[in-house]
Amino acid sequence: MTTVRPPAGHTDVAGELALVEEPPFRVPRDRADLHLFLQAALALEHLTIPPYLTAMYTLHPGANRPAFYAVRAVVLEEMLHMALVANVLNAVDGRPRVAHSRFVTGYPARLPYSKDRFPVALRHFGVAALETFLHIERPEYVAEPPGHPSVADDDGWTSIGQFYNTIGAGLVRLAGELGEAELFRGDPRRQVGPEHFYNSGGEIFRVTDLPSALEALRVITEQGEGVDHTVYNTDDRIFGEVREPAHYFRFDEILRQRKYGPYDTPASGPTGAALDVDWAAAYPIDPEAKAADFPAGSEVRRAADRFNEGYAQLLCVLEGAFTGDPETLGRAVPGMLALRELAERLSRNPHPDPARRERGLHASATYEVTDEHFARARGGHLGTP
Amino acid sequence: MTAELTGFVGLSVRLTGFDAFDLHATGMVRLYHDTTLDQIGREAIGRFLADLESVGGDPDRLVDETSRDIARAITHLWYLGVWPQLSRPVHAALGREQANVAFTVSPEAYTEGLVWRTFHGHPAGAKAPGFGTWADPPPDASAPARAGAGRGNAS
Amino acid sequence: MTATPPHPGARRYDVIVVGAGLAGTLVAKQLGDQGWRVLVLEAGTDTLSTWPGHLDALDTFYSATAKVPNSPYRPNPAAPSPDLLDIEGLPGGGYRSHGYFLQDGPLPYGTDYLRATGGTTLHWLGLTPRMLPEDFTVRRAYGYGRDWPIGYADLEAHYRAAEGELGVAGDAAEQSEAIGLPFPEGYVYPMREIPRSHLDRLLATELDGFPVKESEGAPDTVLRVVTTPHARNSTPDPRYDGGRGYRPVGAAGLPNYGERCVGNASCVPICPVQAKYTPLKTQARWDRRVALVTHAVVSRVLTRGDGRVLGVEYLAYDDPAAPAHTTHTAEADIVVLAAHAVENAKLLLLSGLAGHSGQVGRNLMDHPVLLTWGLLRAPTGPFRGPGSTSGLESFRAGRARRDRAPFRIEISNWGWSWPTGAPGSDVARLLGITGDSGQPRGKGLFGSALRATLGDEIGRQFSLQFALEQDAEDRNRVTVDPGRRDRLGIPRPVLTYDLSDRVKRGMVAAKAVSDRIFARLGADDRTAYGPGPFSPGHFRFAGRDWVFHGAGHGAGTHIMGDSRDTSVVDAWQRCWEHPNLYAVGCGSMPSVGTSNPSLTLAALALRSSEQIHRDLTELHRPVVVRAVPAPAPAPLSGGAVPAPATAPGPTPVTHHRGPEGQP
Repeated sequence: MTTVRPPAGHTDVAGELALVEEPPFRVPRDRADLHLFLQAALALEHLTIPPYLTAMYTLHPGANRPAFYAVRAVVLEEMLHMALVANVLNAVDGRPRVAHSRFVTGYPARLPYSKDRFPVALRHFGVAALETFLHIERPEYVAEPPGHPSVADDDGWTSIGQFYNTIGAGLVRLAGELGEAELFRGDPRRQVGPEHFYNSGGEIFRVTDLPSALEALRVITEQGEGVDHTVYNTDDRIFGEVREPAHYFRFDEILRQRKYGPYDTPASGPTGAALDVDWAAAYPIDPEAKAADFPAGSEVRRAADRFNEGYAQLLCVLEGAFTGDPETLGRAVPGMLALRELAERLSRNPHPDPARRERGLHASATYEVTDEHFARARGGHLGTP
Repeated sequence: MTAELTGFVGLSVRLTGFDAFDLHATGMVRLYHDTTLDQIGREAIGRFLADLESVGGDPDRLVDETSRDIARAITHLWYLGVWPQLSRPVHAALGREQANVAFTVSPEAYTEGLVWRTFHGHPAGAKAPGFGTWADPPPDASAPARAGAGRGNAS
Repeated sequence: MTATPPHPGARRYDVIVVGAGLAGTLVAKQLGDQGWRVLVLEAGTDTLSTWPGHLDALDTFYSATAKVPNSPYRPNPAAPSPDLLDIEGLPGGGYRSHGYFLQDGPLPYGTDYLRATGGTTLHWLGLTPRMLPEDFTVRRAYGYGRDWPIGYADLEAHYRAAEGELGVAGDAAEQSEAIGLPFPEGYVYPMREIPRSHLDRLLATELDGFPVKESEGAPDTVLRVVTTPHARNSTPDPRYDGGRGYRPVGAAGLPNYGERCVGNASCVPICPVQAKYTPLKTQARWDRRVALVTHAVVSRVLTRGDGRVLGVEYLAYDDPAAPAHTTHTAEADIVVLAAHAVENAKLLLLSGLAGHSGQVGRNLMDHPVLLTWGLLRAPTGPFRGPGSTSGLESFRAGRARRDRAPFRIEISNWGWSWPTGAPGSDVARLLGITGDSGQPRGKGLFGSALRATLGDEIGRQFSLQFALEQDAEDRNRVTVDPGRRDRLGIPRPVLTYDLSDRVKRGMVAAKAVSDRIFARLGADDRTAYGPGPFSPGHFRFAGRDWVFHGAGHGAGTHIMGDSRDTSVVDAWQRCWEHPNLYAVGCGSMPSVGTSNPSLTLAALALRSSEQIHRDLTELHRPVVVRAVPAPAPAPLSGGAVPAPATAPGPTPVTHHRGPEGQP
């Protein structure tokens, strides 16, 4: 795994940051290139899920429910984004691959598609976690895709938005070069539809042509960062749903302990109702925890290992649904709920290392998924509790 | 974690048959410790612990009815999240100030009850296992849960 | 929710609906959608329609030591509800009742309801079987009870409409083939059936095709496990609605939640994710012309001399705990009572209305339930999934109805929770803790012995619920006692209740069937009936002890019929003597069959809404329609045909503000 030193200012992350592979800085040239970009997008959408889940699952039982539901809503949208990217990739006759060890980055990781060396770590619910989330979801200047004169001097990606716009540009270009029908020649039976996927932060839709592919990219970018200069996303326009603040502003609400009102803007900040947050009602964990930190043979270690194995199984179910029968996607839900319980049980246990326990740290799920885990997961039973 | 809490966990392992990981995993250790202290008092707990010590830490060998009823109450608390009524004579013998009524110590205590784990289930109304899981065969309920993992995995 | 009080000075509405439960919510939805101005008066609070209110109910449920159906919902002394904990059995038999109901019958009425926005449907199980065609004609076909003035065919389209509104998951082909229900060609429910539980599958393996005799010499009845339709989110069926499909309706108050049942196993008393239908989901889509006023307890219906009603008087309170209220009136062209069978009867009696037939309050019914329970040899997977996913339907129809009440058998997925209070009772029992703290306690099990014994015993629990049809009897009734009043001064309902020998014979047959099923399964039968504090429904019959339970299916009290001399309402649920007063709900049912009644209630409410719309159109016929420029509010004075709503969407809820704008 390639790593890099974290920047100063995040002193609790002392070790090195894992590097997420980025596609070359160019507009996808051909179908194979497009597959590479969309596979990278799939990994990017997954990257943020473990940090969000860690914040949720380190809360004390029953504590901070408004914050829990807010983070949960964002996680659901990230999962929707993963499924939408998989639909786009399948539509252009690609093969979404999520069940291999390189798909899951090590944590802490360096935030990709950014000039900053910003660490994305698995942190307990708290100010540091929320500041990480805000950085990930921050609305930022989105430069033109590579090849545009204005970015002639750049040698790499400067924002996630730029990366997605580049995929969009590639789709448009290839649809022109190959013909739309030829580009979207993927097997329509691979498409995940609303009967397969639910509670998903907007309704999943099938991708069959250029407009639906671009719509999928639009949902992904707008749910995250909001639209133009407003606090809200476009779910009400796209899905006919209740207007909700985009991810960035939902995290901002928690951090500032106040909701955005209907007339608030990014400049005004939130002026709506108070939102109670009890910062002490979370189990502190080591942001660089590894399963190997827990003594071999200990109950905590066994649980951490089982979590990683269960996570591998979950990704196998997802890959099966994305590359085979979308009907099987529903089997991922019991796996996720079981992992949630195991992660919560871990974080309620004091860290088995006496020194870390002395500092008040607790055990945690580490999301280290190896090829061995995948090998075992493929041999084991899936989805049955 | 204080030595007193560690001791409470050790005592609870013997009473409940669940290991320390499972007990910590409820997030209820401190609340149950404090509840027990509040309901019985430090002095009575001291006598109870001494009594349990004298029979080698095996609650089955407790003879004194007061000690047995305290053992029942702490176990009941862990299994259901509910502090039970003590037997009337024991309540009187302890000279308790509290009313002798059963109560759920917190909403989360109910959802963290150990009883559900004995048959690899989940508390009614919480920790839902997902759509359609009820169609799957349950794990063999006669096999003891694997330490440290319980049913909380996707296998 | 923010408050938008009704227009100051506005007193008149097109329709007043009393009660924001299932029936009232559907009537208000239909009429609001057609542009009528609807005032819904709800006696209880509106706390539960917000997400924080829902979470509070969940916490209240978690904390309750007795997890009865009303346990999540905070008691409201200003609009009290009956509770299952209000009745207790006596050591030597018999029962004692306290709480809201006054009970003076030989047996207790063990059915509760909930007075709050959303109503009793907040804690329903969510099963939605249709009634059988023969259930509508029990007098003609089998010589008992009362017939409906309408039949299955009259209600079929409304059944479909109700299944769409509630979002029903089921297998119509199986319902048709196994039970004989007629559906239009090719009909599918909005969602595919809720998957069968592991226990259903175990039982189907042993019981499908198995013949049983319910008594010596009786003909064989062949058993078959059939999945049950649910108003619960499942996998949408793309074939529904001519291929347009169906989008499951999630939780009211939290986006992206509850779009599938996730198996919380607590449909009763509260679905934590709101995958189960509640009227709150329909209320979220009420037209803005529907105004909900909560904390408004209707005390009587106001009348003119000619039999027509003018409106209602209601008592508004602010703080449920404070003994203070104010009195208001509201007027409308049509008044719809939708407050529950018992409350509807209470209001008619207190108002002195609809008395010609002498049937108001009479024919009180329920589905008396007999429970049997035992242990299977292998784990059953108890306490998983919805309360029941399948049933045995073979005893609901046919010639045996001449002699005994028919019954529907629900396979319970929740172990012994109903019969014994498991698993809490198992923990207490094994620890040696007895119900009476004065009694000596058992030695008790501890440690791994306790854990293993609990796991083994609870893991093999199963139970069957036999829900019997209760025939309409005019001696079973609701009256009011002016000498005993609730805190707002409204006389409390008095219930006089008993079971007929026909019902009791049904229980004898049910128990015989249970015995044969248990023997077939090789089950260790732990069923035991006897008097005691938790058995208020104890009685003796045919030389044996029996205990029955209420199903929460309060019905009868203002039955419909084809004659003003023998029934309270007509086939449209309109009071014979009061052409602009409707009483809707299970109270209108002259017989209840063996189907859980909410779906039929919903179908009836949708059907009545059509007639109310026709009545209103008739009343407003001479007036010229005026276009109302958007977005100016439509005139609220009476008499004009309402303009179409200018902006669809949820109507803000007013908090106890009356139409006068005063608390």
